[in-house]
Amino acid sequence: MLLLIQNARIASEDNDDLTPADVLVENGTITQIGQGVEAPAGAKVIDALGKILMPAMFDTHIHMREPGQEAKETIKSGTEAAINGGVTGVVLMPNTAPAIDSAAMVRMIYDIAERDARIPVYTSGCITKGREGKELAGIDGMLNLGVKMLTDDGDAVPDLLLLKHAMEYASEFDCFFASHCEVLELSGPRALNEGEVSHRLGIPGTPACSEEICMDRDIRLAHATGARLHIQHVSSKIGMETIRWWKQMGAKVTAEVSPHHLLFRDEDIGDYNTHYKMNPPLRTAEDNKALLEGLKEGVFDIIATDHAPHRAFEKSQDFVTAPNGITGLETALVSLYHYFVKKGEFGWGLVVNRYSAQPRRMMGLDAVPISEGGKADFLLFDPEGETTFNKDFMQSKSQNTPFLDKTLDGSIDLVVLGDEVLLER
Amino acid sequence: MAVISLLVLVVGPVYTPLSSSSPPMTRKDLLDIESLSREEIELLLDQAGPFKDLFTRSVKKVPALKGKSVLTLFYEPSTRTLSSFEVAAKRLSADVTNFDVPHSSVVKGETIKDTIDTLQSMRTDYIIVRNKMPGLPQMIARETKACVINAGDGAHAHPTQALLDGFTLREVFPELMGKKILIVGDILHSRVARSTSTLMRKLGVEVAWLGPGSLVPKHGPKDIKRFTNYDEALRWAPDCVYLLRVQMERQAVQYFPSLREYTKLYGVTDERFKQLEAQGTYIMHPGPVNRGVELCDAVMEYNRCLINQQVENGIATRMAALYWLKPNQQK
Repeated sequence: MLLLIQNARIASEDNDDLTPADVLVENGTITQIGQGVEAPAGAKVIDALGKILMPAMFDTHIHMREPGQEAKETIKSGTEAAINGGVTGVVLMPNTAPAIDSAAMVRMIYDIAERDARIPVYTSGCITKGREGKELAGIDGMLNLGVKMLTDDGDAVPDLLLLKHAMEYASEFDCFFASHCEVLELSGPRALNEGEVSHRLGIPGTPACSEEICMDRDIRLAHATGARLHIQHVSSKIGMETIRWWKQMGAKVTAEVSPHHLLFRDEDIGDYNTHYKMNPPLRTAEDNKALLEGLKEGVFDIIATDHAPHRAFEKSQDFVTAPNGITGLETALVSLYHYFVKKGEFGWGLVVNRYSAQPRRMMGLDAVPISEGGKADFLLFDPEGETTFNKDFMQSKSQNTPFLDKTLDGSIDLVVLGDEVLLER
Repeated sequence: MAVISLLVLVVGPVYTPLSSSSPPMTRKDLLDIESLSREEIELLLDQAGPFKDLFTRSVKKVPALKGKSVLTLFYEPSTRTLSSFEVAAKRLSADVTNFDVPHSSVVKGETIKDTIDTLQSMRTDYIIVRNKMPGLPQMIARETKACVINAGDGAHAHPTQALLDGFTLREVFPELMGKKILIVGDILHSRVARSTSTLMRKLGVEVAWLGPGSLVPKHGPKDIKRFTNYDEALRWAPDCVYLLRVQMERQAVQYFPSLREYTKLYGVTDERFKQLEAQGTYIMHPGPVNRGVELCDAVMEYNRCLINQQVENGIATRMAALYWLKPNQQK
């Protein structure tokens, strides 16, 4: 296939500059970048005037619910949702039913992805069998199949000795650990942040220290054992400060922040709106501010959505009973543009770095800059467009997002991966 | 004839505030105190008065809700509140049905939406719901045409308790502005403390909390005073001390060392009672009381103990609430 994108402005992770250029793609490879590139015979030509061409996104924190909860999402619907949001690679979390805790389960995920997905699907593997925190999972078998991230996501590993042994054992291999941080005894019903809102709504809250204590504990353990550790979905100011401090101490720690923790706070729950219920919970305006600061400064290496689909009837239960989590794959990039890039909080360089290049590197993959000789793995973003996140637009099987039926500025008009145009609007 | 003249007597004053020039203050549901305006609260308290006057008559019933159906849906065991609502509805001539909730199965949140559909099919006019899940009455209210009264949802709200507390305190202090109330005990788990604190503050009453540090929320409204010991609290000279029931069952997770220690630090002991009596302080309690724990026997004989009035006023205020709500015609 021949594809010429004319008059684009190219974004890269290096800085916030946008470089005007035409980009020619031949058989999945970018062969020419420059001014006035001639369209070869038979080339598909796209006029990208005013639009931004950037490396496609990569999301390392995804729940696709398959196997076990296919009514919420499947690898097929989830990867289509990813494409819809400009994401061309995902890392699945292992809290499926059964959990992804063995080579056999990893192979099964790969088989389904091979059959159903148009983008690469990677999976993490459990630290403990069945995520029960009792016995170590079959680590070697999973690593042999390319698993890089070990996590019991959804829960912390409560047994510190077991976690220490896991870290000592696996740190000698090519892998890293990822921690969902929470001290269960402090978390209560895991419904919302402990604060004025939890008091008003009469629900015992989860204090930020539940997350912070576990985070500090896990980093200490990783630091002591030499394991690489990634901290998932940091939600609080002190959590951000904890990571900042440990990085200064030289710990091998990375961290992610999710768009919803940057954008929303517990007050948004209002009158028990379950589209603002997730774990870790939304905290306060002060935390939003600190997380944004941490993102700009680089305390947070990556942005990841924690895409967590649930059926409408599950989310329409009472607030405590309704499950935690919101979808994020389809809304992340547009919301980052609408709330931050457009307002000048940060530029495209940061977006490309934190949501495309760094997540790939963390998984041992190469970044996919728009460069001659590079593989075509990019998207075209129209800052003058807009996106309405209604049921017709969304490809995910679930619509549990605060953005449901809302319209934001910006739209993803084209997603290309190799020789295939995955999406064109 | 007696009934008709009584009706005039009762319905007359009840209608007056509604027919005034201000927009009619009516609602479909009574879910919490927070969303009520001061005017609405005062209207409800005003309307409860004439209903209470009925109770001393030989015929205590008026036909205000004749032909209307009231369904009680109590997911938590309750005798006092359930009976109070039942009596209130019957004195308004409504037909009352108790939806017998098997506590084990229906409590699961998954079936709530289906339960609501069932209730909707019954075409009941009023639903009175108690559930341990905060916000559940809101859910029901959104989904049904019927008027919904929250009779307690977890630690969130118990609006009719707050109204009866306000009514009771207003009987002894016709002007509540500037009065002081001290709420003592397990504030954290108490929907009564939340709703009554909110109502009192809306009526201009100063509110303070006293209780074990582990049971007093750190994140409550800023204008509520917190005391850490009784002596200090009594020096503040509250007009009323409102005692909360110590929830023995909460001690599965320990919040304080022992009941003995609780009583010593936060109970109305004989000694503290003498001081309260000397200061002329009124005492309230939502019931049922634990004698010897949150209060000593002498309190129950005290002429400024309002506990029995609270029960009686509960019926009157619940009648006022039922009478006030109007079903949503559009939905």
